[in-house]
Amino acid sequence: MYSKLAFRNVMRSAKDYLVYMFTMAVVTALMYAFSSLFFDKEFTGLFEIAQMMQMMTGMATFFIVLIVAWLINYMVRFMLEKRSSEFGIYMLLGMKKKAIARLYMRENVLLGIFAFLAGVPAGILLQQVLMAVLGNMVHVEYRFHPTLNKYTFLVTLLFYAGCYLLALFRCKRKFKKMNIHDLMDAKRQNEEIKESNEGIKRLLFPVSIAVIVAIWTVFPGLSSVGAACIFLIALVLVIYLFYIGLSAWVMCYIRKKKKGIYRGQNLFLLRQFSSKVRTMQFTMGTLTALFTIALMGSSVAMMFSDYENKVLDTKWPFDVLIYSSDAEDEFQDDLEILNKDVEIADSYIYRIYTNQTNQANVWMYTHLQAFGNMYLDSDGRPNMKKIEKALKTDGTYCTYDTYMGLSDYNYLRKMLGYKEITLTDRQYAIQIKARLSSETDEMPEGLEVTDAGGNEELTCAGIYTEPFSQDGHNGGDYILIVPDSVIQTMKPYYSEMAVDLKGKAPAGLMKKLDDLVPEEEQDFAGHADLSLEGNSCSGSDNMVSYNATNLVRDNVIPEVKYMLASLIVPAFYMGLVFLCAALTVLSVQQLSDSAKYKFRYDVLAKIGLERSEINYLIARQLTAYYLCPALFAMIISGSVMIRVSRIFIMATGVHTSVLQYFGISVLLFFGIYMIYFMATYVGFKRNIEGKK
Amino acid sequence: MNEYIRVCDIEKYYGNGSNVTKAVDRVSFNVEEGEFVGVMGASGSGKTTLLNMLATIDRVTAGHIYYGDTDITELSEDKLSEFRKNNLGFVFQDYNLLDTLTIEENIILALTIRGGSRKTIQKQSNQMLHLLGLEDIRSQFPYQVSGGQKQRCACARALVNHPKLLLADEPTGALDSKSAQILLETFTELNQTMRATILMVTHDAFSASYCSRILFLKDGKIFHELVKGRKKRREFLQEILDVLSLTGGELSNV
Repeated sequence: MYSKLAFRNVMRSAKDYLVYMFTMAVVTALMYAFSSLFFDKEFTGLFEIAQMMQMMTGMATFFIVLIVAWLINYMVRFMLEKRSSEFGIYMLLGMKKKAIARLYMRENVLLGIFAFLAGVPAGILLQQVLMAVLGNMVHVEYRFHPTLNKYTFLVTLLFYAGCYLLALFRCKRKFKKMNIHDLMDAKRQNEEIKESNEGIKRLLFPVSIAVIVAIWTVFPGLSSVGAACIFLIALVLVIYLFYIGLSAWVMCYIRKKKKGIYRGQNLFLLRQFSSKVRTMQFTMGTLTALFTIALMGSSVAMMFSDYENKVLDTKWPFDVLIYSSDAEDEFQDDLEILNKDVEIADSYIYRIYTNQTNQANVWMYTHLQAFGNMYLDSDGRPNMKKIEKALKTDGTYCTYDTYMGLSDYNYLRKMLGYKEITLTDRQYAIQIKARLSSETDEMPEGLEVTDAGGNEELTCAGIYTEPFSQDGHNGGDYILIVPDSVIQTMKPYYSEMAVDLKGKAPAGLMKKLDDLVPEEEQDFAGHADLSLEGNSCSGSDNMVSYNATNLVRDNVIPEVKYMLASLIVPAFYMGLVFLCAALTVLSVQQLSDSAKYKFRYDVLAKIGLERSEINYLIARQLTAYYLCPALFAMIISGSVMIRVSRIFIMATGVHTSVLQYFGISVLLFFGIYMIYFMATYVGFKRNIEGKK
Repeated sequence: MNEYIRVCDIEKYYGNGSNVTKAVDRVSFNVEEGEFVGVMGASGSGKTTLLNMLATIDRVTAGHIYYGDTDITELSEDKLSEFRKNNLGFVFQDYNLLDTLTIEENIILALTIRGGSRKTIQKQSNQMLHLLGLEDIRSQFPYQVSGGQKQRCACARALVNHPKLLLADEPTGALDSKSAQILLETFTELNQTMRATILMVTHDAFSASYCSRILFLKDGKIFHELVKGRKKRREFLQEILDVLSLTGGELSNV
């Protein structure tokens, strides 16, 4: 009998809480699709860093389980409140509390199972899409073959059930404390509006805005972990206090009978809004936090995917480029491997030279935006002690400046298909990363490069910014090109071999080259890294740096893309789930309150509002209610993300406006937002008009 | 004779086919300006249906209702709400106040919906608050005040726009006898001082005795009419009770 009752109740709840069901199904689908990354065999075998994707997805899943558990818990409590009079009647009829609790739990589990069953098929499709996107990213062809993977299914079920367990954990206790009168009375309780200390609370509104502005100005200066923690705590506090302040502020506005309330239905709207915010201030704060995280997550994902599309292809211009710290290396072992595996069109072994000075390095440390004032004394002069220490230890630049002979340079340019350059005996040139070109116009004035005799100063013939593999191979960030006569007076510093291949490099070629280094010297991904000491460096790229001795372009790009994907994918995943969870709460809140609103709108209709005016009023009410947390979250995440994007652009040299990443995220965000908003609006209107 | 409101032969049927209920069956009457008319009847007699049709909330099946020269049975949905806004005021048994607004704001809202400057709105609402003795509780919320006060607030809201007709549906139904008496005296006073035209539906003889004329409804038809004239209220009440006892006494709720 009870199961029949439970089933019938579920069918009814499913209609009332369709949005909730929909979200749970979406969550299941997302969980299924992303959990499949744990068991995917297509990509795991390809890269040694595949665990990174799994680790990041795992981490994202952890937070997602927490949030989904919160959502379920919220909904369970919410439905309990809404249906309390119904439960009161059950008790009045003589049903035991335990039986009611069990009935309610059964209903919730049934609801969950329905959503789960609907979500899994969607998840299978979504998983295929995800795999196809990933495959496209790493240049692996992916065949479409939707199947139900039993491990993925089990893990999804595990996560999903985990959410439910977490959520329903404390719910039984709630039932124990209930009595019939409270249950039947519960609905009336939250109607009351208590106004107290509004005058003081109102101050929280400007205060929280001031704090946000303060955070905005202080944020760039945050360097320590402690400061960042304080920043985060302040931010969370501000988010919650903001709503207390906002509702109090609106109430005071109404109480003072300011002009605005005498226009049309403003009075009704403002009261409606402030009392709703008032009773839900904590939920609103949480929603804002979720929106903020969702927006930031998707902005970060945007950043890296933009980086992937724009920068990676120019980062490694040579098919194969191999570093050796031995200044006389002839690369016999490497050539042997290459000859065996690939057809070489052209290979060129050359040396990077040094004259054992570091004027260019000093110039870089003291002039690049990335370093700021770090290496300057208070009087603006270079802090040589600090710079020399950095040159020996931090690995951004080699200990001494790096030079290249003109003929080597021109040979390499020819290999890459660039025009050769000419220099007279009295000239030198600078080859630098395109990212830094805007900052280095004045570099020649800071340098003194002399001719072979060491007497005459050379003039700079030009600064070249074509992609030239300057992450420690052809210098770090820069290399100075001098006539061959000058280079002969310098000392070889380290060796490089550039190779042009016929056709594509096979997967795993780089690994074979790396394996020439003993295994204990390889890094976690099985690569031979640059040591970053003495004659090896990495350049100043610090968002995505890849300092390996052996670079095989066709192997590196997919690997780095996969690595970036392991940031992008979980960030999107988290953003999506957080967004859906928050939107569900918003829309269910409004929809289930529509009975209360129906009464209010009926009254308005009786005192003479037209149907069209009421529809407009509903739209305004929902918009205000929906926009409030969204706008607030946008301001917070926007102010942070614009700053972060600026740093990101500076560090990576991507040519985009700072607003782009955040802008696209906001667009995406509002796309999903609109779906929920429209669903709510339609449902809300139907509830208000329908049951007349 | 000033024919302010004319109800001509209206009918209202519910259901269809063989299962038709005549809630209102060929009812006709007139209401004059400044009259305080009561409609009495047992539950199911069709009095609320009649009121709803006068209130433009419900549509007639047949017949016409004229407010002056306007036939409201011919108006479109939008015209009707416009008409409602400008001509009618409502007082219901369950008050129908907005719970998120204070007593004063409930009155202000009715004014702002019709538009007007801040000053006139403030003036009118203050007048109304004063007239109905609501000044002390103006900034309280509905849940904080008594039923009688709520109902007086509903009256204030209904009358603040000077409607052609005030429609009251069992206004004393949820009130204790003292509050009911105060409310009815308020009605009488408003009727006399503001010349407000009131149509009140009730099944309570005591409430009805405050009216100047009473229509008795049974099974959707008017079966009797009483006019107070110069009679004392007590005599009039006795007359009402006599009529009720004639019909079987099922309305004896004194």
